Amino acid sequence: MTLPRHIYQAFEDIVGTDNISDDPAVLDSYRYSLAHTAIHLGPHYNTFTPRGVAVLLPGNTREVQAIVKLCNQYKIKFKASSTFWSAQGYPSEDNTIQLDMRRMDRILEIDEKNMYAVIEPGVIAATLQAEVMKVGLNTHIAGSGCSCSVLASATSYFGSGPSNLYGGWFYDNLLGLEWVMPTGDLFRTGSIGSDCGWFCGEGPGPSMKGVARGFLGAKGAMGVFTKCAIKLFAWPGPKTLPVEGTIPAYRTSLPSNFKAYTVAFPSWKAWADAVYTIWDTGIGYLGHRQFNMFGRDLKFAIVKILTDPSKSLDDLEELLEDPEVQKVTEESKRDFQIMLVGMTERDMAWQERTFDEILSRTGGWKVEAMNEPEIHDWALLYLIRLGHKNLNMVYGGSYDGCFGLLGAADFGAQNVEEAGKFKKKWEKRGAVVQGGGDCTMGPIGGQGGGGTCLWENFTNFDPYDQFSTEGTLELFDAATEYGVKRGWGVGMEKWNAQNRGPDGRTTPKGERDRIHLSAPQPNVFRYQHKVREALNPNDLGDAYFETLDD
Amino acid sequence: MALKDFAPEMDRCSSCSYCKWIPFDQMKSWRFAKNCPSVAYHNFNSHSARGRYLVARSLLNQQSEITDTVRRVVYSCLTCGSCDVSCKVCRYNLEPLEMVRELKFHLVNNGQNLAEHIAIIDSLNRDGNTLGAPRGERGAWADGLEVKRFPGSQAEVIFHAGCRISYDEELQKNARAAVKILTAAGVDLGIMGDHEMCCGGRIYNMGYKEEFNRFARANISAWKRAGVKLIVTSCSDGYHAIKRLYPQLGSEIEVLHTLEYIDRLLKEGQLKFQKEIPLLVSYHDPCHLGRQGEPYVPWEGVQKKVKGQVIVYDPKKPRYNGAWGIYDPPRDILKSIPGIELVEMERIREYSWCCGAGGGVREAYPEFSQWTASERLTEARSTGAEALITACPWCERNFLDAVKAQKDTLRIMDIIELVQQAL
Repeated sequence: MTLPRHIYQAFEDIVGTDNISDDPAVLDSYRYSLAHTAIHLGPHYNTFTPRGVAVLLPGNTREVQAIVKLCNQYKIKFKASSTFWSAQGYPSEDNTIQLDMRRMDRILEIDEKNMYAVIEPGVIAATLQAEVMKVGLNTHIAGSGCSCSVLASATSYFGSGPSNLYGGWFYDNLLGLEWVMPTGDLFRTGSIGSDCGWFCGEGPGPSMKGVARGFLGAKGAMGVFTKCAIKLFAWPGPKTLPVEGTIPAYRTSLPSNFKAYTVAFPSWKAWADAVYTIWDTGIGYLGHRQFNMFGRDLKFAIVKILTDPSKSLDDLEELLEDPEVQKVTEESKRDFQIMLVGMTERDMAWQERTFDEILSRTGGWKVEAMNEPEIHDWALLYLIRLGHKNLNMVYGGSYDGCFGLLGAADFGAQNVEEAGKFKKKWEKRGAVVQGGGDCTMGPIGGQGGGGTCLWENFTNFDPYDQFSTEGTLELFDAATEYGVKRGWGVGMEKWNAQNRGPDGRTTPKGERDRIHLSAPQPNVFRYQHKVREALNPNDLGDAYFETLDD
Repeated sequence: MALKDFAPEMDRCSSCSYCKWIPFDQMKSWRFAKNCPSVAYHNFNSHSARGRYLVARSLLNQQSEITDTVRRVVYSCLTCGSCDVSCKVCRYNLEPLEMVRELKFHLVNNGQNLAEHIAIIDSLNRDGNTLGAPRGERGAWADGLEVKRFPGSQAEVIFHAGCRISYDEELQKNARAAVKILTAAGVDLGIMGDHEMCCGGRIYNMGYKEEFNRFARANISAWKRAGVKLIVTSCSDGYHAIKRLYPQLGSEIEVLHTLEYIDRLLKEGQLKFQKEIPLLVSYHDPCHLGRQGEPYVPWEGVQKKVKGQVIVYDPKKPRYNGAWGIYDPPRDILKSIPGIELVEMERIREYSWCCGAGGGVREAYPEFSQWTASERLTEARSTGAEALITACPWCERNFLDAVKAQKDTLRIMDIIELVQQAL
């Protein structure tokens, strides 16, 4: 479908000729392969998200409002996205207007004293971090990495990441919010709603944070968020990261109040005990099981490749034969990365002593090979900036998590080995990368610095290879069945499938209802149904705002 | 290669958008974080490498057709390669720059040319240069210089002036300076004068591969006949063509950028700076000398998979990601000139911002080209520098035009000017 010319002209009048297109090829550049972080089908199935009817690049809130009002007038669905990281940011309905928010990319304010920044949708975490570091502050970065929109992560999706531990995830960090509601009305939540500034997400004034964002966010299905304030936290480091090294082995050398350790444990029980004690003691700036995403058997070889600019994946097999690599691989099976950052010398000394004591009590150890200066400084930069998220795709071009969920540290102690063994059997068939079964990664802090881990067993495959994509699908179906049978529940492998079907379009209502009814708290979705009825009367979003009829 | 050969990459590109930014590890500010002028200016995804992968996929699968918009999408790529560098921070099996070039070849092969580019090809076929200037005036820049001229002379080294320097009266002084300095240092140097031909590098990046091949082969053959062992050039576009593209056609001739040669002479003690130049300068890395100036490594092999689905190449494939470009020689020269203080911009070396002159953009989309140059001037001014130094006549010309349009006081200079003044 193409837009009738008079409607196209009306949109063009809002954003200007240079900021609208309905050229088919341009529209196809706004489609997303469902073989990436979605439901795992490759080109052999031709499953891309539906082509939009037009893409618009609004430049300010007024234009967004006008677009949304016009969409209501003509009953045209719309979907806004800022950095288009994953399938959630793309339409799942035909005949949808796509809003690319990249022109609205200003950092409007950095309030050093009250420790927050006011930003537009197009601001990515890397640029926000670079700017706030200049005034001794830092921002949380979602697990999707620093290439992603901070506003999108904070308002519209999960927003969890390695710095949950100290910085709090975006659920916590979202303060005031400017929201072009699905009807086109403008609403400001939190303290900004009462013209009291951006400092608070809950008031004085209307809170509405739960409605606007909820726990998982509406993923672009309930209007457009045009500004928000984000809580920042302390950065006791240099104003600019001093980066050296040859691409891609960039590294940063920071003062002695910064340390990035890889630690490992003799058992998962010990691993979990260490995590609980870290939460109890309040040490740590950032905690993540990061490099295990490459796979338990491959991770140190990949670290060696990434820290040596003369190496490439072509060296992988040879590195895996290296006894030193094998030794480190073996000793870091049950590992995680943690950054200790001292606000003062005494603080750092105390954190170091506390951490050593935690390791002593749990039988854990520091993986010394990861402490070699060049590798340490590479890991430090990697974790602070989180600028290598695309390594998720390094092997064959695609990945997604399976067996994943939010849970206590003991969740790992109880199921990572078993899930890994299950997956390893599938790895042997060759459809997915043979990473050693346990490719489980995720942050080790959340909810105010403790309480949860996020588990996700990475599965890497080649989206251009039919055998690989079909094998991955089979694995994921089997993983779901196994997870349900074992009482772990449905894993991340089905997160998209409950909203979007294999043809890239909205999952049939009957199937969605079945999923939502089987959820532990189906009333959440009934409540969201009421919210949608009240705030989005023309239903101009998609099923990523999950609802259940009464 | 053909566009269909990139089909696997079109699906393996994960649309992460890293291609729109300098490597994240290197970001120092919001203002100078972007890397791709094309998407920074046009804003649509289609103008980035990730978008062009999807546009190419759409065309290949006949889901869309080549329209005026698509021509703009494709031909507004400067082929600066900044997307390629950022992509390869994480990826080892994508070649976005090669894909975009192939997309340009595809359009040209399908007769989807731009009139501005056709004019350049006509000029090449008629007069052997890209500037529409008479063939017989190509060597005029060297009038009065005491230098050997081919054919008819013997010398081990040829100075290749290139189209821009040969015909741009404001820049001809750079070629004269280079020849004088090298000759004075005892280099056995000659020039082709009116017999010099375009290297073809610029038309290659516009999408005219066949024409490039023709000019490249003619040059290789002419240099072989002349018994030349080394080409020296002050043109970074030419340097890239001769260093990276010509070997693919069988050339074994060595090429050095003038500043590489001067850096070598300085380090060997054959040149010494005598005069002080009190000047605060910043250095602009030309794309084709910096990230695309890496040495060519012949490779013939196959793609295979290990550990199930890890894509690798057998034998090991050379990796062009900007790691080994020419970055230090110009900086070493500048730092060794008494009085010169070098202040770096935020986007440098492999993640340098383009000048806006490449890929046929200067000719086809002058407004966009000048915007790109003016972005760089803004970055240079933010350092407090009094002069922006470069090592490519195309960069210099684009910057000079932008400075003139903006009535800016920033001085634009080729590094050779400073060298000449300091000797």
